Amino acid sequence: MKKRGIGIGCGFYGTGYGNGFPDVSRARAKLETDGKIGIYVGATEVGQGAKTVLQQIAAEAMGVSIEDIKFYCESTENTPDAGTAAASRQTYNTGNAIKKACEALKEGLIYIAIDKLLLNSAVGIRVENKKVYLESYPQSAISFEDIAKALTEPLCFEESFTAGTTKMEEESGQGAPYWPYTFSVYGVEVEVDTQTGFVEVLKAVCAQDVGRAINPQLLEGQIDGGFSMALGYALMEDLRLTNGEIRNNRFSSYIIPTALDMPEVKKIIVEDPEVTGPYGAKGVGEPVMVAAAPAILNAIYNAVGVRMREIPVTPDRLLEALMEKE
Amino acid sequence: MAPLSVYRGAELQQVLKLLQDHQGKVCIIAGGTDIILKLREKKLEPEVLLDISGINELKGISEYSKQLADTGLDGLKRITEQTMIKIGAGVTFSEIAKSPFFSQNLKGLADAALSVGSPQIRNAATIGGNICNASPAADIIPVLLALEAEAIVRSREKEETMSLQGFILDKGSVKLLPNQLLCSIAFSSLKENQSLGFAKLGLRKALAISRIAVAAFVEVGDNAFKNVRLASGACGKIPKREYEVEACLEGKAINDGSIEAAAELFKQVLKERLRGRSGAEYKGEAVKGVFKEALRKALGYQNI
Repeated sequence: MKKRGIGIGCGFYGTGYGNGFPDVSRARAKLETDGKIGIYVGATEVGQGAKTVLQQIAAEAMGVSIEDIKFYCESTENTPDAGTAAASRQTYNTGNAIKKACEALKEGLIYIAIDKLLLNSAVGIRVENKKVYLESYPQSAISFEDIAKALTEPLCFEESFTAGTTKMEEESGQGAPYWPYTFSVYGVEVEVDTQTGFVEVLKAVCAQDVGRAINPQLLEGQIDGGFSMALGYALMEDLRLTNGEIRNNRFSSYIIPTALDMPEVKKIIVEDPEVTGPYGAKGVGEPVMVAAAPAILNAIYNAVGVRMREIPVTPDRLLEALMEKE
Repeated sequence: MAPLSVYRGAELQQVLKLLQDHQGKVCIIAGGTDIILKLREKKLEPEVLLDISGINELKGISEYSKQLADTGLDGLKRITEQTMIKIGAGVTFSEIAKSPFFSQNLKGLADAALSVGSPQIRNAATIGGNICNASPAADIIPVLLALEAEAIVRSREKEETMSLQGFILDKGSVKLLPNQLLCSIAFSSLKENQSLGFAKLGLRKALAISRIAVAAFVEVGDNAFKNVRLASGACGKIPKREYEVEACLEGKAINDGSIEAAAELFKQVLKERLRGRSGAEYKGEAVKGVFKEALRKALGYQNI
């Protein structure tokens, strides 16, 4: 017999290295000879979309379009260390470092413009569309390109951002070991075959707090990816450790979901800007996975009345539990 | 190890000659989805690799008429014409899944083909390869056993027909002489009151190796099971007919009671067969669901 059930799971997740560990990202912003903005950062793109999001942050900070950003990442030869692409920290931590470096570069451009345009102060000066101009008298303007041509040495600023966390007090368990936190809720509907123990996830919905959605499409991709990982972790992925040896050591036996196992995941992006984030953004890479497995296990309970306390809930384990219940 | 020679055959006779000339040193490759892994892992180290994927004589699905000598109730011999369906050994699972021959009553064959691997694997892998690899979990074998299919093998000199059941000897072993090639599979086409169902339990919906597969051929008359042929996959060393369970259904009225009793017997049979092996408990229980699904599908293809 096939039985359906629904379940909800909620989670929160502290991003970054945490626990008072110095979580540092560095970034450099440079005026290139053609008037474009060079961003040099050690952040690694692993498919999560860091290159896109970090370029968007730079373009926003400099008031230019994304085509005017020259982005250099990953190479340790010419980029400063931005820490690992881990702990869901690149958008928040490195995003902040890039924003700070761009703001410093902008200030540098303003001081050069004051000199070139024979102005008295920085008051009323705007930086926009690859030029620096006086808002009350826009004719008084100089383009990034002209500034670059006039430079005798490169105009380049390096900034760093360090997340604010404290070590947890061992005795009391008190402290602020992570910042910021990201929140999410999953709802799923499953169908359990009570004769074989096979669980199919029919539908899923994810409400994910993102601080600020810098790139909604990439966020949706993160949610799909996080859910498919959680689906495997909840129902399929079993290392079968025996005396320290992994028995399922190939993809024919270590089962991960394919596209046919994925339900459609409805996404609700919740924007509640984080004051310390770049334009309010927070990281979601890991948080999108946290609450999905609990939601699936709750839905199994709702469908067949069995509380599974070990993952993955493989057909063997669920059928055994169903028979014990009878 | 001698350097590997690779031949790509263009015609059947040419391939059969090569088989004859290099007897015992040849490994046949068609789709390659099993062989390539074995070559890579050095489980096979043939001197000659013979590619048969380009041979037209091994392609195609067709119907032909066969004369059967039959002894009637009156004791008189008569000749009847039986329509047969023939599948070339080089036909891929994608071709089987798409074939108009395998719709309605015979849809179970398309279902089994469609349950194999992924689209990429189904585009390459052949029915002949699946049979000759003789895996306990080969998905196409149970449906062919339920159809009482025949294997047609050829050497340079002659053609031979034998039952598929007799052709599969053991896990990974088939009854082929070094100079013989499996050329096609044939079985009787189905009548209106006959149909085939297939169900499979894997660990996910695609790219899943069968944990249990069941094929069910049913012939229905007067709302009863007139004739039933069942075969299982991944429930022993080779896919096999389940005669005890068949007998339990034959002649019984089609209802939940008769089906449930057969499912219960299937469970007992399997638990006994797999006793002491890992997964025996699980497979024994789960086979009930897979069996009932295969039977339900077979009946459904006749709108019963």
